Amino acid sequence: MLKSTLRGLAFGAATSVALGAGLTLGTGPAFGWSLEEAAKPYAGTTVDVVFLLRPGYEAAEEMLPEFEEATGIKVNIIKHPYENALGEQVRDFVAGGDLDIALIDLVWIGNFAENEWIVPLEKFTSNPELADPELDMEDFFPLVLNAFGAWNGTVYGLPFDNYSGLLFYNSCMLKEAGFDGPPQTWDELKNVYGPALTKDGKYAFALQSKRNETQSADSFARMLWPFGGSFLDDKFKSNLLSAESQAGLKFRQDLMQYMPEGIVAYDHAETVNALAQGDVAMITEWSAFYSTLTSPETSTLGDCFGVAPEPMGPAGRKPALGGFSLAVASQADDDEQAAAYLFIQWVTSKANAKRYLELGGVPARQSVYKLPGVAEQYQYVDALVESWQDGVPEFRPRFAEWPEITEIVQEWGTRIMLGDVSIEEGAEELGKRMEAVLEDAGYYSGEKPLAQ
Amino acid sequence: MKTGGVSRLTIFGFLGPAILSLALIGIVPLAFAVYTSLHKYQLTNLRRTPFLGLENYQTVLTDPVFWDAMQRTMTLLVIVLPLQLILGMGIALLLHRPGLGFLKTLTRLSLVVPMATTYAVVGLLGQIMFNLKYGVVNQLIGFLGFDPVNWIGDPTNAFIAIAFWDVWQWTPFCALVLLAGLTTVPGEIEEAARLETKKWWLVLRHVQLPFLIPGLTAILILRTADTLKLFDMVFTMTRGGPGSSTELISLLIQRVGFRVFDQGLASAQAIILLIITIVLSQLYIRLIYREVQQ
Amino acid sequence: MTNRSLIAQALLLIAIVLCCLFPFYWMVTTSLKDQVVALASPPVWTFTPTFANYVEVLFEDKVGASLINSLIVAVCTTLLALVLGAPAAYALARFEFRGKRDLWFWFITNRMVSPIVLALPFFLIVRFFGLLDTHIVLILIYLTFNLPIVIWICTDQFRSIPRELDEAAVLEGASQFRIFRSICLPLAAPGVAVSAIFSFIFSWNELMFALVLTRTAAKTAPAVAVGFMEGYNLPYGKNMATSTLIVIPVIVFALIASKQLVRGLTMGAVK
Repeated sequence: MLKSTLRGLAFGAATSVALGAGLTLGTGPAFGWSLEEAAKPYAGTTVDVVFLLRPGYEAAEEMLPEFEEATGIKVNIIKHPYENALGEQVRDFVAGGDLDIALIDLVWIGNFAENEWIVPLEKFTSNPELADPELDMEDFFPLVLNAFGAWNGTVYGLPFDNYSGLLFYNSCMLKEAGFDGPPQTWDELKNVYGPALTKDGKYAFALQSKRNETQSADSFARMLWPFGGSFLDDKFKSNLLSAESQAGLKFRQDLMQYMPEGIVAYDHAETVNALAQGDVAMITEWSAFYSTLTSPETSTLGDCFGVAPEPMGPAGRKPALGGFSLAVASQADDDEQAAAYLFIQWVTSKANAKRYLELGGVPARQSVYKLPGVAEQYQYVDALVESWQDGVPEFRPRFAEWPEITEIVQEWGTRIMLGDVSIEEGAEELGKRMEAVLEDAGYYSGEKPLAQ
Repeated sequence: MKTGGVSRLTIFGFLGPAILSLALIGIVPLAFAVYTSLHKYQLTNLRRTPFLGLENYQTVLTDPVFWDAMQRTMTLLVIVLPLQLILGMGIALLLHRPGLGFLKTLTRLSLVVPMATTYAVVGLLGQIMFNLKYGVVNQLIGFLGFDPVNWIGDPTNAFIAIAFWDVWQWTPFCALVLLAGLTTVPGEIEEAARLETKKWWLVLRHVQLPFLIPGLTAILILRTADTLKLFDMVFTMTRGGPGSSTELISLLIQRVGFRVFDQGLASAQAIILLIITIVLSQLYIRLIYREVQQ
Repeated sequence: MTNRSLIAQALLLIAIVLCCLFPFYWMVTTSLKDQVVALASPPVWTFTPTFANYVEVLFEDKVGASLINSLIVAVCTTLLALVLGAPAAYALARFEFRGKRDLWFWFITNRMVSPIVLALPFFLIVRFFGLLDTHIVLILIYLTFNLPIVIWICTDQFRSIPRELDEAAVLEGASQFRIFRSICLPLAAPGVAVSAIFSFIFSWNELMFALVLTRTAAKTAPAVAVGFMEGYNLPYGKNMATSTLIVIPVIVFALIASKQLVRGLTMGAVK
């Protein structure tokens, strides 16, 4: 983390030196840097990027005309559901296709970087013609920049669509059951809030556990970390049979009695909707759902809406961490790369963070959350900022093998929940299969450094 | 040779274009699949594709996940095919009875609707109709006094739901094929048989069945092949879940190939599936032909 | 026939009609619901219909363009399958040569091959030629299931044409191709039509190849419809509006052609 922060500093320094040189030589822009000037050579360039069907992307899409007008660069958005986004991009990059920007979930970055599908950001930040002097890399939450945008000490992408796990709750239901506030610990959630809130067809909690990335990120990993567990030990062997990991998985299994039946079919939409309709009292979900849960069009909560950091476990608060960065694709030609960079820089900029926030996005800029009024208007800010201090970057390992591993976790994680296999058997099988993948990849023979 | 003066060149002129194009489109990818199945061919790591020999095949043949999926697929076939045949036969016999001209025409037209409906749409519709809370299916069974059923969230129920859809979509196909078979029975033979016995199943067994054999063969072959291929509806409705309860063979291969990106393993699975398909269709043809010739 | 059994028959037929049509009815009505109504629990049966979902999918989500793609692909691949398949079927029905049964079986086997087997290798090959996301790729790959259908049904049809007709023509010195084109093909028109209908319906409904081989420009309607499935919301109305737009043309087409369709179902039978 420190390393990338230092790097950020270095970029800044390099940029200002270069700018200074430009000024004295008279070849650079006369007065500082402007987007219009920087984009002039690339007017008419089209940049292709994959977007998801989520609030942050709608916000960016709404802001887009402004960018296109100022630069003459056309941004062509191809929308995919999350479940297809990785496959579509991998196929495009393997095929040497048209994508100029990669949309990178934090767990894909090792994969994209090792395949050299994405360009280190330094190529652009060191170019005074392109780099905005206001870029200010340090303004990004360091954890977020490091986890979403960097791999092995090199920054590739800028955090764009940012999530942290939060506890959303129905304060009216809690009050009715005699609680003044949300639970502080997972233990409390299960043993005190669980029985009190599960009655009359309502449930205390819902944990989205559908067999896709939701199962691995939102359900499985969420219960490992707070209990001190993890996927791998420091030798990259399975850590799922450790007492801590087992405790976490056991906790999840016990907690299911306070969740609606069929929780293994719940994806985000079902879970958020269950809270929005007053069927469950609490959920742990991504920050991105704040707008869905507070808008009267999609939620009946109104004044009953409440938000807090995720509960703590014996190992502390280890909230779920997820999110996407945008990086320039190496298959793009020089003009497209420059244009792509300008767009990424613009859409994640400090100057645009407020607007992005207002339109429903969640920026990763520290400065925007310090602006007057922001914390008051967006109730989740405190919880979010706190989460981004304590998060674990390797919440899910970010190495290139994750796509293979996550499939295994999805399968065996759901089978454990369904009672197909016992927790121990399931974890053992999962660990075995996970190690087979890592063995194949060459981690154990020393061919590959143990980076996640 | 019946064809007398037809030269090889003429024969080739007629067949050549079809053979060549199908060979190019069908066999070249297949050959490529064989090639990848012998290698470690990870789409996210194409810089390293070492030759593995038969290792992928060995993995598949000993992988319980593969055989579980295969078994699920076969279970589905064994459940839905008899249902489709029995219901289809019933509908065909109903439509074959005299009278009620308009209603029969209407029924025949309605039967076309499930068959023509895009398979992916059936799955999307299933998500909505079988939803625990917003689904109309639970509302309807509620009218009958049953408790709501968690269709998509429960392994067994999800399997029942996809079986239900398959029966819904393909019973009409069986009905129409069998009805067409019934109409090929010469009228006077059927009349004569009906004078002799009032029992419809005797007529069916001894008079009508022989005329239905070609149709039945077609149904068996097509339905078996289509079940082994079944993807769209299940993918859009359950994506193989919950757990792996509806992960049929084609969903498994799709997952390994496009989500795990292990193209080598997926190819090996696909080729084993292909062999199973061919063996089964050959078996059907042989068995049923022997039956007919006896 | 007694009245009682007639009434029973009528009731059963009505039940069958209802079973067949109810999901279709539910799809259309859901497409006319706004989000709040679509997510009502329990589901509502009467509501004020809205066309907002259609406006949204047609104008914002480019479903219109994808329907045109579907049409282009389905029509072209059907025509191509006929041009290639009808002569081949004729040869299989009329000429004797070594390995004929095996050849027939090979053609038909292609219909059995799961698209999964071909999709990714085909993707990698197409990528090599830079033809990803084009109509032509789908038109070609759809031949793998259309050509077998055409050959299967048309071979049957050609066999049922009396040989005396072309033997007479042979005596007059007509070439095989002329006999095929001017005598047999017109007589086989019903079979050709049936196979065309099947090809069209199968191509129109195809999902997997479309998902793998297209991205934007050539994306067909089913692939677009599946793309709305995101874990983040439940766009029921929008989904069903797209579904209705996809299903209506093919159902209308199938209903118009339903007589021939039923005929075709018997012709497909193995003989």
